[in-house]
Amino acid sequence: MQGFLNDLAIMAPAVMFNIYFALASIPLGFVLAVFLALGKASRNPLINRLSRGYIYAFRGSPLFIQFFMFYSLALSLNISVWKPLGISGFVLHPLFIGPLVLVLNTAAYTAEIFYGALRAVPRGAVEAARAYGMSPAQQFRRVVWPNLIRLAWPAYTNEVVFLFHATAIVYFALPVIGAQADLMITAKTLFERDYNAFLHFSVAALYFLAVSLVVFFIFGLIYRRLMRHLPPQHGLRFAPKWMR
Amino acid sequence: MKKIILAALATLTLSSGAMAQESLRIATEGAYAPWNFLDESGKPAGYEIELAGAICEKAGLTCEFIVNDWDSIIPNLLAGNYDAIMAGMSITEERKQTIAFSDEYFPPDPSRYVALAGAEIDFDALTGKRIGVQGGTIQAAYAEENLAKDNTIVSFTTADQAVADLSAGNLDAIFADGAYVDPIVTASSGAIDYTGPDIMIGEGMAIGLRKEDTDLTAKLDAAIEALKADGTVDGLIAKWFDGRGPYYAN
Amino acid sequence: MTDDIAFWLSYLTNGKHLTWYASFQFTIFAALMGGALAVLFGLAGATARNARFLPLRVLGTIYSSIVRGVPDVLFFLFFPLAFEQGVEWLVATQVCSPAMVAAQTAAWPPCREANWILGTPEYLMLASVSLGIVYGAFATNVIHGALRSVPLGQLEAARAYGMSSRQVLWHIHIRQMWVYALPGLSNVWMLIIKATSLLSLLQIADIVLWADRLGAPNFLPAVGLVHADWRWRYYLVLFVFYILVTWLSERVFEAIMRRVGKGILSEAHA
Repeated sequence: MQGFLNDLAIMAPAVMFNIYFALASIPLGFVLAVFLALGKASRNPLINRLSRGYIYAFRGSPLFIQFFMFYSLALSLNISVWKPLGISGFVLHPLFIGPLVLVLNTAAYTAEIFYGALRAVPRGAVEAARAYGMSPAQQFRRVVWPNLIRLAWPAYTNEVVFLFHATAIVYFALPVIGAQADLMITAKTLFERDYNAFLHFSVAALYFLAVSLVVFFIFGLIYRRLMRHLPPQHGLRFAPKWMR
Repeated sequence: MKKIILAALATLTLSSGAMAQESLRIATEGAYAPWNFLDESGKPAGYEIELAGAICEKAGLTCEFIVNDWDSIIPNLLAGNYDAIMAGMSITEERKQTIAFSDEYFPPDPSRYVALAGAEIDFDALTGKRIGVQGGTIQAAYAEENLAKDNTIVSFTTADQAVADLSAGNLDAIFADGAYVDPIVTASSGAIDYTGPDIMIGEGMAIGLRKEDTDLTAKLDAAIEALKADGTVDGLIAKWFDGRGPYYAN
Repeated sequence: MTDDIAFWLSYLTNGKHLTWYASFQFTIFAALMGGALAVLFGLAGATARNARFLPLRVLGTIYSSIVRGVPDVLFFLFFPLAFEQGVEWLVATQVCSPAMVAAQTAAWPPCREANWILGTPEYLMLASVSLGIVYGAFATNVIHGALRSVPLGQLEAARAYGMSSRQVLWHIHIRQMWVYALPGLSNVWMLIIKATSLLSLLQIADIVLWADRLGAPNFLPAVGLVHADWRWRYYLVLFVFYILVTWLSERVFEAIMRRVGKGILSEAHA
């Protein structure tokens, strides 16, 4: 029991790194995903191809490999690009390049969700908006987007939880700076000290579960607010259809 | 049914337990040249691999090398996945709390800083520098204790990764075993050079063993002793470490 | 020019590279084995969730929600360790005599004879089982949903034929379920493929480990070709490899769905 409480205390600062990685990559990933989804739906062949290719490549390969590849790629550009720009230490810092790769990765998954939702937006509503004389930009902002985000929200919630889980492998691929260790590294270090896998990994798992539940709660509140014009429905669920 | 499975499992482990008497499973990292590395054919090679061959011949054991990541090399020894570690591991007081060591087969050797040529580092007031180490090494422990307050310690899973980051200018210096960086400094033809003071840490390198395997430890100690006496160890050190030594000649 | 080609050809076919190419077998094996086990665990989980017996139902639900609430890496690191200790404990209850236990000075296992040595084949099996358990939780959900999608009329017809409830389950319900489960299972398969990149964390010398070792900068002629940091090139190869595998899997699943789903899936979506 004492060991359990000790672990809880030791891992409390560590979970902040996982939360930081997720928080730092969610907003940018969201914005990038909107553009990618629109790109995939675009009639311009170049934009369409590029967006499709991007989404396919990042959904079709493991995040673990993406971390290794982008870190070593960024490293090889260090002397020729980052150093002259004076941003060397910044670009190669795990706290920067970690979220960067997570953004690139989650944007692809989120874009696929948004693209699916975009295609599910009722055509009648869009036609009505056009008949009303709205410009394309107005159509998007007033009609397409509100429909899209409501349709996509449950799946997006799942994606955010998966993104949070994905933060577990950041430090398996990137160098560790000083004592900046996330949940997994902390659990692994503790395990290597006393070989008690059950205790340390369970505590880390508990933290992951707890934060996942908090994400569901917050996103559920947002969902309820998004859906406030409709009669009450059952809340968000961790649903199978929408996994990444 | 359950009984049968258990019996099968039991014979399986029993037979492997019996085999462990003659065969010795040795873990190495395979990424720490010249001690141990994976050669062109993809097999472990280097000073420790040749030395292990000689030791096992002397002790009448069949040896097999297993490649294991550095950071889990001690836990997996304790878990019984192999019986010995030969991975450029230095004897330290901290490690002695969990594992046993044979007699040393590589003498205490200063750890050294290396940096890109032309880097001006003031070691009297070492602050604000990015220093790379391999995680879980004696150098990492030293840096953690003595340098971490004023500098940034970046730890990597293999020493090669630290060298890659240094070459790419992402580190101000790396701190590693002298005999590890020596060939790199030589081969870099001036691009990478020594800097700062040499620091003596560690008590030489030895085979890491489980504490309870006292018979095995004694057997290996005797073999190492004999190989030191007949000059084999010195010969191998000279061969792999650019003519160093002799250390153990009487 | 020809010298260059000859040089690169011999470099790319040296033993180290050949070992790298051979290590793809671990990845492929883990994916196939993990996939098969995931379907098995999924079936077990879904049947548990549909069971009349309450504790079984609770167990099925807990399995499918807890495992999905934890990152796969964590489970991947934890499960083999736990399983190893579990097996050693089981073996110890059978083979350890009190004298052996007394002779044991280490904390674990209870006696030396119970020690289970994990090498690459063992780790590979454990990795596959971990993949099976983790992604079986996802498959549980997929299969649970698919079982519900089977038209009730078919089950009623089977019952009217006088089949027992077990016969209905195995001969009609589960057979018809596959069609509805395929799209979801193809998703799970893609997840498993990507998760195979984690094998190196279990001391398996897999494609990722070799990419790192081959790409790492080398200064010593004794070690091999002296070169700078080439890692990103090797990782790029793996990046492309995984995309190709995904592409291939998609084509295969499409073909299967076109065959078995004729007339059924389009109806279900309408």
